[in-house]
Amino acid sequence: MMTEADYYAFFDDYLQDRLEAPVRQNLERRLAADPVLAERFADYQRLTGTLHAYGQRLRVSDKLRAIQAEIDAEQETTVETGRANMPVMRISRTEQWLREFWQGHRATMGVAASVAIMAVFATLLGLQWWNTRNITSPAGYAKLRLEVAQLKNAQKKDRRVMNQVINQIGATPPPVQGKFSGTGFALTSDGYIVTSYHVIQGADSVLIEGRDKQRFRAEPVFSDVAHDLTILRINDRRFNGFGRLPYTVKRRQAELGEKVYTLGYPREDQVYNDGSLSARSGFEGDTGFYQISIPVNPGNSGGPVLDDRGNLIGVISGRQMDVQSAAFATKSSYLARLVDSLSAANNPHVYNLPKQNQLTGQTRPQQLRKLQDFVFVVKVFE
Amino acid sequence: MGKGQPSYTDEELLAGIRHGDDRALAHMYRQYLPTVIHLVTQNSGTEDEAKDIYQEGVMVFYEKVREGTLELSCQIKTYLYAVCRRLWLKRLAEKGRYGGRLDDFEPYLETGAEADLADAEERDRQFALMSEALVRLGEPCRSLLEGFYLLDKSMQQLTAEHGYTNADNAKNQKYKCLVRLKKLFFTQYKEEPLS
Repeated sequence: MMTEADYYAFFDDYLQDRLEAPVRQNLERRLAADPVLAERFADYQRLTGTLHAYGQRLRVSDKLRAIQAEIDAEQETTVETGRANMPVMRISRTEQWLREFWQGHRATMGVAASVAIMAVFATLLGLQWWNTRNITSPAGYAKLRLEVAQLKNAQKKDRRVMNQVINQIGATPPPVQGKFSGTGFALTSDGYIVTSYHVIQGADSVLIEGRDKQRFRAEPVFSDVAHDLTILRINDRRFNGFGRLPYTVKRRQAELGEKVYTLGYPREDQVYNDGSLSARSGFEGDTGFYQISIPVNPGNSGGPVLDDRGNLIGVISGRQMDVQSAAFATKSSYLARLVDSLSAANNPHVYNLPKQNQLTGQTRPQQLRKLQDFVFVVKVFE
Repeated sequence: MGKGQPSYTDEELLAGIRHGDDRALAHMYRQYLPTVIHLVTQNSGTEDEAKDIYQEGVMVFYEKVREGTLELSCQIKTYLYAVCRRLWLKRLAEKGRYGGRLDDFEPYLETGAEADLADAEERDRQFALMSEALVRLGEPCRSLLEGFYLLDKSMQQLTAEHGYTNADNAKNQKYKCLVRLKKLFFTQYKEEPLS
């Protein structure tokens, strides 16, 4: 009786062709006839086949690793410079890794860097915008700021301190008809009106509206940007004169401490306010302006400042944000000088400034009653 | 290449590898390595991963050639590229990083590599089982069989190493070991469903 091991020896001899011909033929016949034997033979073949293949796999795997190691050894320390006449460069593994990293990711890193830079600048700009925005509350502030900046440029006042922002009082929350509004007052009885330059700055058209709600179209005829003054002319066929003006324009400087008052349109109705002349210079020592202690609001710009005797001493221009009731008014002497120079110009129009003052010696309410018809809303359309 | 090495045509390479010429194998290995490294490194792999993949791919090719069952309908380069591409896709899927797309740098053709890879997988499974069976076989059978089949030692050498009185003794011992290995191997082999 043959054991299985004996059969394996037998199969081995058969496969190695070590059997004699009759034995071999006998085995072949038995393999064809006996399925059990045939399966045993197939198992043997599969087993040794797998073993051989497994051995080969391990050997070849070693060979491949050896080849790879050889290649690595060649490449490890040298980098081809790409030019035949250049010596090869020897670099460390770390540096090589860094080089590969840079080669592979430089585009990504470039994008990341630019995004970071943009983010930094966006944050800085955003913070600045947010800070400046937080200083004020009224709507339409940006516009105001713009006017401030331009006015101050014109005045060559570059030494502006951030927290001393002068606020032009040229804009009220707009009524439906106009985008901005301020105050103006009659300069002559034949239809010349004075207001602040910044009120009509950038205007497409200007409307004058009196206390009686009558409206006239007007156009600027001259502006003095440095002193924030504009002269408008009513340009309307329905207009037929203001009548005699009750006040006169003071040509000299007013005295410190004089009682002064103004009438203006910070809202839809005329509003009266009074105070004293606090200083004979304006914002940051500008000698073209007075400082007056009248509480003024956006919309008061361009309003007349009168003294006790009914002399026009100034035109409201702006206020200082961080100081209580410090308003500024253009000195009337500049207005008078402006009118004089216009009258003397080549194509003169005769400006008949009022000569006679009807307000002197009267009580404040009486003065106001006479004055109120000569103060107007200036509505600006852009 | 241009490094003073002989350049082979595909036919020469195939013939060389079929006859077990190591120089042909090394030459082929060097020649097509860069392509595969490029493929893998450009598709979120490292160079070491690329080398692993490439060795696996070359192994598939090599075993098919040695078996004589390779039906090469294209250049060796294209075949290797297809195999390695497939292997790398599989690796990426295992890593869960496969975005469903691979940037190709070579024309990718149907090369029969897919079927060859399925064969290779089956072979891998058998080898794993075999290695396990050998471990469970225990000494001295394991060293005897490994020495003969895996390390390619001669019977005389093994006889001396294991202290058998003569080669016939060693041979008989080998057959007994084979029978035991057969049982271990085929029980496992048949336990697992053939895929």
